[in-house]
Amino acid sequence: MAVATFEHDAELMLRVREGDAQSFALLLAKHRGPVIHFLYRMIQNQAVAEELAQEVFLRVYRSRASYEPTAKFTTWLFRIASHVALNHIRDGKQERNQESLDQATDEGLGRQVASSAPTVEQRMLREVRLAEIRRTIELLPAKQRAAVLMHKYQEMGYAQIAVALECSESAVKSLLFRAYETLRAKLAHMAGRG
Amino acid sequence: MKNTKDNACPMQKNEGELLLSYCAGSLAAERVAEVERHVGVCPECRSWVEGQQTVWQALEAWEVEPVSADFEAALFARIAREEKAAGWQRWREAWRRLLPGGLDWRVAAPAGAIALLLVVGLAVENPFRREQAEAMVKLEAREIEKAERALEDLEMLRQLEPLEEETRL
Ligand SMILES: [Zn+2]
Repeated sequence: MAVATFEHDAELMLRVREGDAQSFALLLAKHRGPVIHFLYRMIQNQAVAEELAQEVFLRVYRSRASYEPTAKFTTWLFRIASHVALNHIRDGKQERNQESLDQATDEGLGRQVASSAPTVEQRMLREVRLAEIRRTIELLPAKQRAAVLMHKYQEMGYAQIAVALECSESAVKSLLFRAYETLRAKLAHMAGRG
Repeated sequence: MKNTKDNACPMQKNEGELLLSYCAGSLAAERVAEVERHVGVCPECRSWVEGQQTVWQALEAWEVEPVSADFEAALFARIAREEKAAGWQRWREAWRRLLPGGLDWRVAAPAGAIALLLVVGLAVENPFRREQAEAMVKLEAREIEKAERALEDLEMLRQLEPLEEETRL
């Protein structure tokens, strides 16, 4: 199935190269979710994530003439997405994110407290845990964060992540190990809690 | 105990990725049994795997927000605008090549009028022509309306931009 997907996406992209806009729309419909979700988890701001995703797909469209199916399409796509996200973070455009995160959490808690649903306590606990997870992810160095997000949510292998982050496979393993080490230390207390 | 570890412990052998792949469920089936056998006897690896599973489950809880309904329409509009600008660029370059010594638009003003007619021709040749853009937006019925509005905006731009272009140059 992986091979079929590979061929299908690459084939669509080759058609985009020939000027077929409908193939581009198909690729977009299939991949915009994963790309936006990746960027959202990187940046933790939905509006910014969508703005960056526009940039990613614009770059995909602009690169159509030089596109060669040498790597899996999703790997190539996430290479662009990682590049855009890391540039955004490097340029220091995300200082307000933590603030908005705190605000979102407070609002979330406010809603939970006001709610009379029987599961209010569980939902509050869930909100608190989620805020903690987001904060811990945000504290990871950007490249570690990108590696973990692609590994965990995009289910990409070490080799794919290496291509996406333009580094060696052993560097990816090292990034993942350090990142999970931090996550384990910070989230260990969540063990056994539903 | 030390011997057992030395022979098979992924941590001792600097092969922690085996445990990582095992926890991610991406380890080849034939190696799963081998890792499970080792984890059963090695407290260090068992503790690592348990910690990793906790992190893995915690991360599962992080859901994402829905994508804005006008994401596609906004992107198609940006692409169409860019394509149009590229069309202009191609046209300008072609025109520049025709005029020796560069462009003097005060002299070449009448040529601008002819050029406008050429642009129409280029737009037809443009790979991102209007009918294709329309075909694209049909894929997502709920976005048709927004996309059509974007296309109308484009149509408007198409009418306005030759004027802007001319005044700028
Ligand atoms: Zn061990």
